[in-house]
Amino acid sequence: MSGILVILEERGGRIRSSSWEALAAALKLGPAQDITAVVIGAQTAALAAEAAAKGVGKVVRVEHPLLAPYTADGYCAALEQLLQNQGPTQVVFPHTYQVRDYAPALAARMGQSLIGDVVAIEDGAVFTRQLMQGRLNANYRHSGNGPCFVSTQAGAFRADAVDALAGASPATITTFTPNLDASQIRTEPGEPFREAAQTVDLGSAQRIVSVGRGIKEEQNLGLVKDLAAALGAELAASRPICDNGWLPMERQVGSSGQTVAPKLYLAVGISGAIQHLVGMKGSQCIVAINKDPDAPIFEVADYGIVGDLFEVVPALTETVKAAK
Amino acid sequence: MKIVVAIKQVPDRDAPVRIAPGGKWIDETDLQWAMNEPDAYALEEALQLKEKNGGEVVALSAGPERTGQTIREALAKGADRAIQVVCDDLGTRDALGVAKLLAAAIKPENPDLVLTGLQSEDIGLGQTGVIAAELLGLPHATLILHVEKTDAGVTVKRELEEGWFQSIEMPLPAVLTMQSGGTKLRYATLMGIKRAKTKELKSVTAAELGADAAPVVVLEQIALPKKQKSTQILPGSPKEAAAALIEKLKTEARVL
Amino acid sequence: MMASLPTLAEPRHFAIWESALFAALIVASVWAFWRPFGTILRKILASKSDADFHLFPIGRRIRDFVWEVMLQAKVIRERPLPGLAHAFVFWAFCAFALVTLNHCATAFGAAFLDPAEPVSRIYYYIAAVFAAACAIGIFGLFVRRFFARPKWLGELSWGSGLVALLIFLLMVTYLAAFFVQPDSLAARALWWAHTLTLLAFLPVIPHTKHLHLVLSPFTIFLSRGGFSRIPPLSGDEDFGLVAGKDLTRLASLQAYSCVECGRCTEHCPANNTGKLLNPKQIVLGLRGYLNEYSPASEEPLLGKYNAQEAAFQCTTCGACEFQCPVGIEHLPIIIGLRRGAVNTGAWEDDYGAKLFLALERGSNALGMSATERDKFVEKNTLPIFDGTQEYCLWLGCMGAYDPRGREIVLALVRVMRHLGASFGVLRKEKCTGDPVRRLGNDLVFQQLAEANLESMAQNKVKKIVSICPHCVRTIQEDWKEFGAPPAVEHHSEFLARFASQLQPVQDQKRIVFHDPCYLGRYRGVYDQPRQVAALAGDLVEAPRSRERSFCCGAGGGLSFLGEEKGDRVSHVRAAELAATGANVVAAACPFCNTMFQDAFAARGEGAPELMDIAQLVARGLPE
Repeated sequence: MSGILVILEERGGRIRSSSWEALAAALKLGPAQDITAVVIGAQTAALAAEAAAKGVGKVVRVEHPLLAPYTADGYCAALEQLLQNQGPTQVVFPHTYQVRDYAPALAARMGQSLIGDVVAIEDGAVFTRQLMQGRLNANYRHSGNGPCFVSTQAGAFRADAVDALAGASPATITTFTPNLDASQIRTEPGEPFREAAQTVDLGSAQRIVSVGRGIKEEQNLGLVKDLAAALGAELAASRPICDNGWLPMERQVGSSGQTVAPKLYLAVGISGAIQHLVGMKGSQCIVAINKDPDAPIFEVADYGIVGDLFEVVPALTETVKAAK
Repeated sequence: MKIVVAIKQVPDRDAPVRIAPGGKWIDETDLQWAMNEPDAYALEEALQLKEKNGGEVVALSAGPERTGQTIREALAKGADRAIQVVCDDLGTRDALGVAKLLAAAIKPENPDLVLTGLQSEDIGLGQTGVIAAELLGLPHATLILHVEKTDAGVTVKRELEEGWFQSIEMPLPAVLTMQSGGTKLRYATLMGIKRAKTKELKSVTAAELGADAAPVVVLEQIALPKKQKSTQILPGSPKEAAAALIEKLKTEARVL
Repeated sequence: MMASLPTLAEPRHFAIWESALFAALIVASVWAFWRPFGTILRKILASKSDADFHLFPIGRRIRDFVWEVMLQAKVIRERPLPGLAHAFVFWAFCAFALVTLNHCATAFGAAFLDPAEPVSRIYYYIAAVFAAACAIGIFGLFVRRFFARPKWLGELSWGSGLVALLIFLLMVTYLAAFFVQPDSLAARALWWAHTLTLLAFLPVIPHTKHLHLVLSPFTIFLSRGGFSRIPPLSGDEDFGLVAGKDLTRLASLQAYSCVECGRCTEHCPANNTGKLLNPKQIVLGLRGYLNEYSPASEEPLLGKYNAQEAAFQCTTCGACEFQCPVGIEHLPIIIGLRRGAVNTGAWEDDYGAKLFLALERGSNALGMSATERDKFVEKNTLPIFDGTQEYCLWLGCMGAYDPRGREIVLALVRVMRHLGASFGVLRKEKCTGDPVRRLGNDLVFQQLAEANLESMAQNKVKKIVSICPHCVRTIQEDWKEFGAPPAVEHHSEFLARFASQLQPVQDQKRIVFHDPCYLGRYRGVYDQPRQVAALAGDLVEAPRSRERSFCCGAGGGLSFLGEEKGDRVSHVRAAELAATGANVVAAACPFCNTMFQDAFAARGEGAPELMDIAQLVARGLPE
């Protein structure tokens, strides 16, 4: 039993960056030549070539018509056979929604337990993951026989560690064809879809730019709209803006409006009254722009810019556009 | 439709996090406990399915005596009866060990559907439901927002990344892990609490279930993260501050 | 002199057939009265007994009875002119007691008053004065009801007109008897006219709002007392007012006592801003329910006669209960209906569910993380209460999490430090349960009250001071259901006690003080906050102030229930406060403060400055 398997995941025909991060994590467990990158699907030639160019030890194509579309049953059955065949010491995944769907079952099938969502790996295969919603770090170790299953948190490992390997000669590519039968696949997945964009849905927005009384006049809203467009964000507002009819009521965030929890909440000219705070306090990252350094919004913000929004907001819009 | 909902009791989100002597787990004295929120959504979905299609909702929870409080909450919200797997070693079991306990308790019930939360708010492994499905030999789906009963089984709405969703048709029996926010939770009522007193609560021990506990993954040590959240004020001219902010949002906060 | 005055003329002799006819008419009239009245009485008595009812101490009851019934003080105070007119009608009825008794006795030759005998004669004259006042009064009330028609009185009713006519006739036939000869045909005709009016009046009573003639003295005497006193639930099957079976005797008695004067509606902030809630209709709804169903009925109370939506629009400001002249306690009824809906899960509301879930799991009504409070306490180095300090400074949800509430707390802390008062804040606090109490969630309220009482005992808290009138009220009155709370006072009371040690502020302002409902009507504290605010400038009064203060719209859990229908209560009140021309609005409640902050923000430029009284006096302190 030897070697490290890294199960790569694709999107739109390309390997996803989180998969390269998983590969980078695997480099903390052993040298590149011990690493086997695994691509899986119904058509994997291009993916395999992409992986081979990274300079890993080997690339395996797990290919079968029944592996598209993704099903947990199909992936578990195919990868179980691969693992039996390869006998790795460690199996590394990126901690994606898809991996969360099948990897725990795969590990269980092998009598193992996945160490999921790992943020750091220390020498001697000590894996750190977060507990209590990030309020604690915990170190885990694999004990017992059989392969150790690990999945890595997106962004926790730097994919450029893998880029550094490039230039080595491309890895050899082999194909592994699992024995799959249609009856093994019990679920019938449909095509991915997005929710019909009916009304404003701040609740599911990933990014929100929210504007408050600091904007002063209705005609100044354009500034904030530009920033929201550049960031690909939804536009929201505090209550006075909607009360004035400058924006529709469904864009109001706060106790009498919507409760939101986006990844990024950028509050522009919002002082941070409690009615507003209760509607957005769950946001992952809060940015506040306000000219008053004592504005309560800064108490809850992760990042703040104290300054005139009429200068800061256009500068931000420019920076975002320039970065694209 | 008979639905088993697996529920975990977790420390309250506001609970103070102090590390217990030995450094392997938090100090549980003075902790307030609550129902794991994704499990609360699983329970809600189960209750709605029952209200629509009839049947029975059985609440299942493993843990020490104090778990009874959370089980009663589930009964108060509308579960018909409950099973408590009494065990004091939940913390030292790995995900596989916990899932073995639950699967052993679920099996004799022969449910049509097993629902549980996507992950727990304390350990957050997000695996128990999936492993239980594997152990029970049932199909599963994760990150489910909504369940619709069909003639052949169920149609579920699964969340994918970046705002995408997917419908999946599955046969029954099956195991689903529920994502938070797919529906609205009901509040507990006085009437519910009073009615819960008369509902059946069956208690079994881990030993009776015969689920072994030898872990393959061990938690060695816990520690408080060094960095505490504080507001970073970005100085400089508007241009400089803007540039610094975008950089931090990309590399530090990773939200762009 | 008396000799020159006319004497009341009464027929002295009655034929047997006349006496017999009269006796038959009395029986018919009493029977016509008793048939519907007996039904009503049986419905009241068949209602559930009030678990917390105690007749003693009886002193309060007697005092209320004398003040409100005998002296008609509440009726007169709240609406002086019509109140006085009503009082004269009432007093005339009292004065007539003996006259009427004698009047009837005459027909059977058993008269005990003699119009010619001096004492009786004086009595007759006194009655005559009241009769005249009553006739004028009832005529005035008739004109008001049928011609002036204030909208609070509601639809015109035949009953009111008929009763006014009957009362007027009663008085006129009595007065006219002074101007005819005894034993004349005219005297006999007047006697019969008076008698028939009286006998016609009796059966009308149980069919009209004039039932209050009979019931309201009892209603006032038997009322729970206090203000907005929410009765404890009794037994495992009591979830509040769910169905007829849950109506208590007091609730049923009150429902039948309503005189439909509309004072409650006139002062209701919800009704005045275009909402469905009409407190008068809530009470009449119960009456309609009782008329249709029995007090043992399982038919929901929220349905045909009362709307759930209306019950949840109440800010619990208490203006209705405070004004009610017949002793109806609206808040236990409205909150009782909410309890019935919430405790059984019948109330479905996204905002409400969010609030309840936040308090089921967390520590505060705002759904904030308790660590935010810790950070605030730490950052401002607030001392932790350890049992050695005199005061426990209770932050409350608003004081701990709301940026404006925090400023109020910090202003009070500056003043307390300046005064050398020793104080500390609890390491942990849970919401007092005010919003869930008012919304009728007994489960969460009990959890919060019990946890807080335990923490009070553990920390050996003796005296609490708080910036929030809602916290103060809930701690002092509502927690009692689960234990003995420590003494608690509002910071206005604390500051007023030390007013002599505080410096007047130099830049004097024109200040209008807004009475918070939970400080004023609920606690009877009106002067202390004014005394404190006066240190910072000249006080002006809003048109509606003190007992008549108009709500800010936040109470009763409504600040957590999202956007309101119709006009915002806060906007109406803010406009009224701004119109006083004051440049500062002084508040004494963090909820009022936050409501007005929003309202003034919507008004834009030129709005008055909004400050808590603690902030006003803190400005006068040396840096």
